[in-house]
Amino acid sequence: MIAPMVILLGIFVFWPLGNSVYLSLFKINFYQGSQFVGLQFYQYVLTEPRFWKSLWVGLYYAILTVPAGLIIALLLASFIKTLSKTAAAFMKTTVYVPAVVSTVVASVLFTFMYQDQGVVNWFLSLLNSGPIAWLNDPETALPAIAVPGLWLGFGITTLIMLAGLLDIPDSYYESADLDGAGYFKQTWYITIPLLKNVFLYLIVTGFSLSFQMIDLPLVMTKGGPVDATTTPNLYMFQTFTDMTPYATSFSLTAALLLFVVLGLISLGIFRLVNSDKAVDA
Amino acid sequence: MKKSIPTRIVSAVLMVLISVSVLFPLAWMAISGFKGKTEVLRTPFQFFPDMWNFDNYIQIAADPEFSRAMIITFVGAVIFTAFSLAINSAAAYAFARLDFAGKRFWFAVCITPMFIPMMAILLTSFMVVSQLGMLNTMAVLIIPGLASAAQMFFLRQFYLNFPVAIEEAALIDGASRWQIFTRIFLPQSVAPFVVMGLTAYMAYWNAYVWPILTITDPSLTQIMQFLGNFRSDRGNDWGLLMAGSMLAAIPTIVLVLIFQRFIVNGVRISGIK
Repeated sequence: MIAPMVILLGIFVFWPLGNSVYLSLFKINFYQGSQFVGLQFYQYVLTEPRFWKSLWVGLYYAILTVPAGLIIALLLASFIKTLSKTAAAFMKTTVYVPAVVSTVVASVLFTFMYQDQGVVNWFLSLLNSGPIAWLNDPETALPAIAVPGLWLGFGITTLIMLAGLLDIPDSYYESADLDGAGYFKQTWYITIPLLKNVFLYLIVTGFSLSFQMIDLPLVMTKGGPVDATTTPNLYMFQTFTDMTPYATSFSLTAALLLFVVLGLISLGIFRLVNSDKAVDA
Repeated sequence: MKKSIPTRIVSAVLMVLISVSVLFPLAWMAISGFKGKTEVLRTPFQFFPDMWNFDNYIQIAADPEFSRAMIITFVGAVIFTAFSLAINSAAAYAFARLDFAGKRFWFAVCITPMFIPMMAILLTSFMVVSQLGMLNTMAVLIIPGLASAAQMFFLRQFYLNFPVAIEEAALIDGASRWQIFTRIFLPQSVAPFVVMGLTAYMAYWNAYVWPILTITDPSLTQIMQFLGNFRSDRGNDWGLLMAGSMLAAIPTIVLVLIFQRFIVNGVRISGIK
């Protein structure tokens, strides 16, 4: 019964993965056959400034989207928790709808909104602020892309956060009320510690996903003004589809290095958030 | 505890504010589709079109490339969803209920892909499918993604929570494992199937990077690929693009609205805490 799944995974996941590692040690040349070069490509990748720049871009993008996403999700979930059943159902659906719209649709839509004569600049003009060339300015390009990233993400995050909130027994809050604790004290001492598992899950998966973002910059800026929005995956995609020789090996090596980087960072985050208390089941 | 009137008003106001800001981009996309070519991006800026005309919507819907992309993506999505549910639920059932040699090992094998980032295997997967001659076929879009660790994990959680009593009765009556799966488990799996089915459908419908790499034949272009390439193929006809995007987004939005009950409770269904 598990055979189909295992076979499929074998062909399309494990074999490519193993092959990636194997091939990254070769100088791939489709015309003359590959040549073993050992770790040479690893050296090329690690000394390529654009590679490091893309890591930085990925990190910056993750920092822009993950914490803000969590805060928005927590606020929305807290609000929804107070609503009646029908109102809550309405809000849950409303919040989830953007998540359903694809990255491509969001990219195209926001690119349109960011045009010089587009909606966003119109809002700015209402505040007497000049038009900004959002996607063409290296300073604003990545934050501009982070907005649709956030917009797409907070739906499912809010739903998960809400589930976590609903698991906290009301009695905790009631006794806190009796003790005279205000809203902020309650949130700080009750809600946040009890949501630790949820936060952990959301931070690790959120970071992992946002670091790997490729669709938005690919469609919106093609890597942005002067590589300002070239996230790691986009960088690899660009090098892979590059026609210059050896680009294939290069991108494979970069991908594997990224795998390692991502794993290390995720592990780091996990350890960090998990440090003091034991994780309750 | 009845809420006081001021609280209810604040709640209502917040609800409206939140809904409007969250849905604004989509509304904007819809409205822009109604504007003529010169109105879409003009100074001075105007929110609503002078005249609401359906031209863009009609034009894009009548466009053979667009409608072909929509239809073929739909067909692919349905096939993909059906097969993926079948394969992953079989594995989920096996891991939840059966005992066999090496179970732990195989389970680890089936779960690991969840942690492998897409890029690490994207490029070599491309090489694999290229060598298998799968490029520019429906197969290349459907087959590689079928086995989903996440989907299987979710379904397995659900099956673990299934009461054992029914199964035991069936076993005593001489039912085979396969019969138990098809006659008892499957019919009861509606809720998680809806959630996972929708996820699978959306994953296929919204896919972009893989189709871009593997499909160059215009008659097989997927809908998101079409939208992504629109500006380079046809220039900046924003009104048309917005209309097209709206039409492309509507099927998934409608599906979500219909099945929203299942989705918002999805986290509960699996019993994952």
